[in-house]
Amino acid sequence: MKLTARFPAGPPGTVDEVLAGVVAAAAGPARLGVGDPRIVDFLHGFSRRLLAPAVARRHPELGPLGFFLRRTETERQLTRLRAGLELDDALAFPRGLVFHVPPANVDTIFVYSWAVAALAGNANVVRISTRAAGVADIVLDALNESLADADPVVAQTQRMITYGHDDAITARLSAACDVRVVWGGDRSVTDVRRHPLAPAARDLTFPDRASFAVISVAGWLAADTAARRDAAERLANDVYWFDQAACASPRAIFLVGDPVAAGAVRAELVTLVGAAVRDKGWDVDAAMAVEKRVGAYGVAADGDASAVAFAGNAVATLRLTAPAAAPRRWLGAGTLPFATVDRLTDLIPVIQRKDQTLSHFGFDRAELVAFAHALGGRGIDRIVPLGAALSFAAIWDGYDLAREFCRLVTVDA
Amino acid sequence: MTGAFTLSQAERERRLLPELTQLVAHHRAHCAPYARILDALGEVGPGFATVADLPWLPVRMFKTHELKSVPDDAVVKVLTSSGTTGDPSRIYLDRTGAAAQTRALAQTLQTVLGPRRLPMLVVDGRGVVADRRSYSARGAGALGMVNFGRDHVWLLDERDEPDVAALRAFLARHGDAPFLVFGFTFMVWRYLYEVARDHGLDLSNGVLVHSGGWKTLVDQAVDNAEFRRRFAEDTGLTSIHNFYGMVEQIGTVFLEGPSGDGLYCPDFADVIIRDPVSWAEAPVGTPGLIEVVSTLPTSYPGHVLLTEDLGVVNGVDDGHWPGKRFSVLGRLPRAEARGCSDTFAGATR
Repeated sequence: MKLTARFPAGPPGTVDEVLAGVVAAAAGPARLGVGDPRIVDFLHGFSRRLLAPAVARRHPELGPLGFFLRRTETERQLTRLRAGLELDDALAFPRGLVFHVPPANVDTIFVYSWAVAALAGNANVVRISTRAAGVADIVLDALNESLADADPVVAQTQRMITYGHDDAITARLSAACDVRVVWGGDRSVTDVRRHPLAPAARDLTFPDRASFAVISVAGWLAADTAARRDAAERLANDVYWFDQAACASPRAIFLVGDPVAAGAVRAELVTLVGAAVRDKGWDVDAAMAVEKRVGAYGVAADGDASAVAFAGNAVATLRLTAPAAAPRRWLGAGTLPFATVDRLTDLIPVIQRKDQTLSHFGFDRAELVAFAHALGGRGIDRIVPLGAALSFAAIWDGYDLAREFCRLVTVDA
Repeated sequence: MTGAFTLSQAERERRLLPELTQLVAHHRAHCAPYARILDALGEVGPGFATVADLPWLPVRMFKTHELKSVPDDAVVKVLTSSGTTGDPSRIYLDRTGAAAQTRALAQTLQTVLGPRRLPMLVVDGRGVVADRRSYSARGAGALGMVNFGRDHVWLLDERDEPDVAALRAFLARHGDAPFLVFGFTFMVWRYLYEVARDHGLDLSNGVLVHSGGWKTLVDQAVDNAEFRRRFAEDTGLTSIHNFYGMVEQIGTVFLEGPSGDGLYCPDFADVIIRDPVSWAEAPVGTPGLIEVVSTLPTSYPGHVLLTEDLGVVNGVDDGHWPGKRFSVLGRLPRAEARGCSDTFAGATR
């Protein structure tokens, strides 16, 4: 069975050809090291293409990816990695070959995990879904264009391929790799795990997650008009990029504070989000509008929402019957379920292991740190300001990715 | 002969509105999830000014939720649709509901078939209804229709090839008087039209009832007008009735008028085309989403349903039968989640 070579773009090949190529290059004299400047340069050139005004205007969701790959940012990650190694008196080397199985339809997540693994000097094979389209194509085009200025080792060690549902190829790549990175639903993770790894290899899995936002009623009331408008715009980015389907996009919003004042805060926030969406020219098509009705009506039918309202097709608002009624499933782009709690700690019984990101507005650092301590790692891996929910970080889902992609060697003399 | 198609639009709405309003109250009282949806939407009721003001449910709710307005022990039949993706719809019928839908379907079809059962040609294979435990959509459709005919002949043999000898024999026996032909639109075109044309068979006494959509035929540049024209020219078949219906409103079929000027609503039903932005009723000639309205569903809240089909009303009280006449234009594409989930889901197809 043939593979389609998406990066570097080329003629179809077989899995054995792909493996032979990257393994030879990874062992050759020009092989990559941790924090290899040839990869740093390549990622920087790639980021410039993503941040070019023409791309950024049409695909604002590529902005965070572009920033993540700039030289200043990758160097910062490497400095942090090296500082940790120094503390441990350890040497770091690439793990070898990393096989990435990203989700079918978040268009950029595959780039993040690949980039961190490449930065750690690994050879990489990324399986791009046959369904990947739109932004994924833009990303692949930018990657291929960036090759022109890159050291040949990049093309020799980094491959992105597409193949249909072929267990034999997945099995072959699984058996050959040193680390396998699996993103996706619980079912996808279980499915991929049917294919054994080599004894010394291991999985890094990123299964289904859900995320929420918290807004302090007092903090909102203390903010001026500009700050409120800015918060709403940031929330809109978190919600509408990737159609609210990314794991880190909030699926519900908790207002924290006085329940009477919370009503007015909710109304103002919804109005401002609607205005932000209009200003950005974002819209929800008929199919998504129906999807949202099905989603919102379903929450009501289950007895989890006491009120459902639609401000045009763009913004759906749900009033949840209780904080514990917060939905974790996808309800369509631009669906804002609200619940009110007196204080942050009231959310502790609501939070589950699968909850990932908590976007916040109007709290100070001490409150958030105290909340994280109160949760004790039982759920919520990242607490970030509104608008940063979808900004990938090198520490993700509780893993320090750069370190996960390194093999540590100690010398005691 | 107008049978089930007698009411002008004004008269239809005048009769339907109180019955449907009563159904809203009935389902609200007997189906808790439905009541919760209406409560959450702030639907106060009990009165509504027009049929278009009645609250609608997205038809897909029957895939995601168990919606019924009768106790479990009153359910005599659960209909399921085998959709192409995801969970099937589940439609719960009690004795009254099951009888009403059978009666309504008969009344509707007798408008074009007459009161007596006709010899029937099914443009499908017998295998489509062989397994009585699980029917495909095609099987369920064929099974629902076979009751309206007699002396059935199935056009396709075990290898799904048209059995020309059986077709010739059927026509020799029954071809001189009215006979019923039923099948899915693309099957009728592919197997019956082409075979009849190539063998010079005379279908002029046939009454064709077909459904299933034009998607595959549009690729061959065959639309409804072309379908009717070619059948008439090449086989003599002129009595052709397309119909539109769904398991979620079982018993209600919107039937094409004899002259092919659109689909019509039986007296107990109506359609409303909704603008998918304002959700208001779209004017005649403006496409939108099809909402189907029927007084039949009493055991489940399927009386006012927003479909995911696009359609357009071509005229009101200006065609062969009274009421609205409309066309189905196609299906709304399904919104896709761009989520982190399901790496492999869907990759198998």
